[in-house]
This record gives sequence, structure tokens and C-alpha cells, in this order.
Amino acid sequence: MPKKRNHLSRVFYHGVRLILGVIFIYASYDKILHPKAFAEVVYNYQILPDGLINVTAIFLPWLEMLMGIFLIMGFWMPGTVIWCNTLLVVYIGALCFNLARGLDVNCGCFSTTKGSTISIETILWDVAFLALSVYLFFFVFFKRTSGNRRFI
Amino acid sequence: MFIQFQEKTSKTLGQHFLQSVWQCAAMFALAVFLGFSINQFRVSRLPLIEDWSMEALLKSPSGDRLDMSLVEAKNLFFQKAAIMIDARPNDDYEKGHIRGARSLPWHEVDQRFMEVTKDISVNTPIITYCDGKTCRLSHDLANFLLDMGFTNVRILVNGWTKWQHADLPVDK
Repeated sequence: MPKKRNHLSRVFYHGVRLILGVIFIYASYDKILHPKAFAEVVYNYQILPDGLINVTAIFLPWLEMLMGIFLIMGFWMPGTVIWCNTLLVVYIGALCFNLARGLDVNCGCFSTTKGSTISIETILWDVAFLALSVYLFFFVFFKRTSGNRRFI
Repeated sequence: MFIQFQEKTSKTLGQHFLQSVWQCAAMFALAVFLGFSINQFRVSRLPLIEDWSMEALLKSPSGDRLDMSLVEAKNLFFQKAAIMIDARPNDDYEKGHIRGARSLPWHEVDQRFMEVTKDISVNTPIITYCDGKTCRLSHDLANFLLDMGFTNVRILVNGWTKWQHADLPVDK
């Protein structure tokens, strides 16, 4: 029975890893193609100082792309899950902050094009992704140290 | 074999955290390297530092100022010499807008552009507006209209608030 549960847990871990990997690659792709539009999205959030807007728009999509690739490959998982959790917490914080102050801005979550304004729905999606990411964190850091390293 | 496995699995949580720290740093460095090097080779390279001030945003790509005063907008409005376009979401437009203004929400511009502008000639004066000093919807819409070939597009910054404060005609 514990063996079966272990197997299921491993299957779930790999499923979550692949799903989040695809999500991050999909989220980064349009931002990499349209850095100017993504810089405008970052500006519209009105959180970062002007000097950091373009720099962020240049490197952040690549960080998401690397996270996506590494999640799919199962490579550098400890570092990757830390980044996943950190970025998702930052994104949720930024979305909540702007929703609370009533700013009607493009979410920029998956695309730099107009039409995806921030809403409770976008926050809930990010919270769902964060839940998956937290699961990966516990699996990588706690399950792995308790003897399942071979399977990761 | 068993000993090897034991060694592999005996890493402490602390070691894993240490491992994660250098991996995070390496991923960050790699992302910075990829982002900046690929940006250097782009045709439309994004400058590292850009002027995001309102003054810079109020200039067209050719360097002309796009903003206009409330007095200018009011004169054009009463002379019926300009078309006002509301760039806010449709819900906000429905709640109230400058009298006679058309609604072209920036978030729906791709879908609604043709329908809203089909009877406007390219040199008709157009005034775009939204609400709030930092609202960029009207700027984005104005630049979009200029890109689409309209030659006389101006922005009434913070237009909806200014218009109401001046007790000018509105539709609600």
C-alpha cells in the first residue's frame, strides 16, 4: 500500500512538473517576442522605478523560459522550484496590489497583447499555480531528503 | 550499490537549500545573459534605460506633442470640429462619457477599430481620453491611431475627470 502511494505521489510530482513547465514556457514566449510591449505592461503596474522597467522586461521572460525548460527536464529542481514559488508570490502580490488600488491594467500574464486585464480570476489562476509550485517545493526538499532522490 | 544509494540520500535539508541558492543565482545569471545578449541583436532593441515620464509618453514617434489643454478640447468640441474617443473599458463608458464621444476601449481596439473609425477621414481631428493622470489608455490609443494613418490625433490627459470638473456636457 505505501509503495502504491509512493508511486502515485511520484506520478503526480512528474505531472505537476510538466504542467508548470509548459505554463512557464507559454507565459514567457510572447514576452520574449515582444519586449517593448512587455515593458509597457511592467510600466503599467506602476510598481518598479522607471530605471528598472526595461531591464526587467529584458531578463524576466528568459528566467520564466529557463524555469519552464528546467521543470520539464527535471534539471536543477531545488533552484527552479525556489524561483517558481518566488515569482508566483511576487506576481500575486503585484496583481492584488493593483486590483486593490483599482488600476485597470493589462495583466501581461500570458500575453503582452491587450484584452487580459487583471481580475480576481487572474489572481485565482496564479494562486492555483502557486499551490502546484508549493507541492513541488515540498516534494523536492522534503520527500527527496527522506529517500526518494532516485526518482527525481 | 546500497552504500552509494545511502550516500546519495543522506544529504541534509541544509545541503539542499545550499544547492538551491547557487542554482537560483546561476539561473538568474543565465537569464540576464540570455536576455541582454539577445536584446543586443534585435532589430528593435529595447534600450536598457528609457524615459517613462509623462512628458516623454506625450510625444508621438515623430517627436510632436500629443497632449492638448482642456480649453483647446472644449473649443473643438463646441465647434463640432473634432471626434472624441473614449479609450476606457466599455463599462466605464456606459457609466458616463463626454457627450457624443465614441467608445473604443484600448483592450478591444483590435476587434472594434474598424467599426468605430470606418466613417472618420484620416485628417479629421481626433481627441482621445481616459481617466486619471497616469492613465495610459488614451496615449496607447492615440499612438495606435497615428500608426493606422490618422494624422490629427491629440490626447486630453485625465480627460474624463477634467471634463466633469469643468461642468462640460456629458452623457450618463
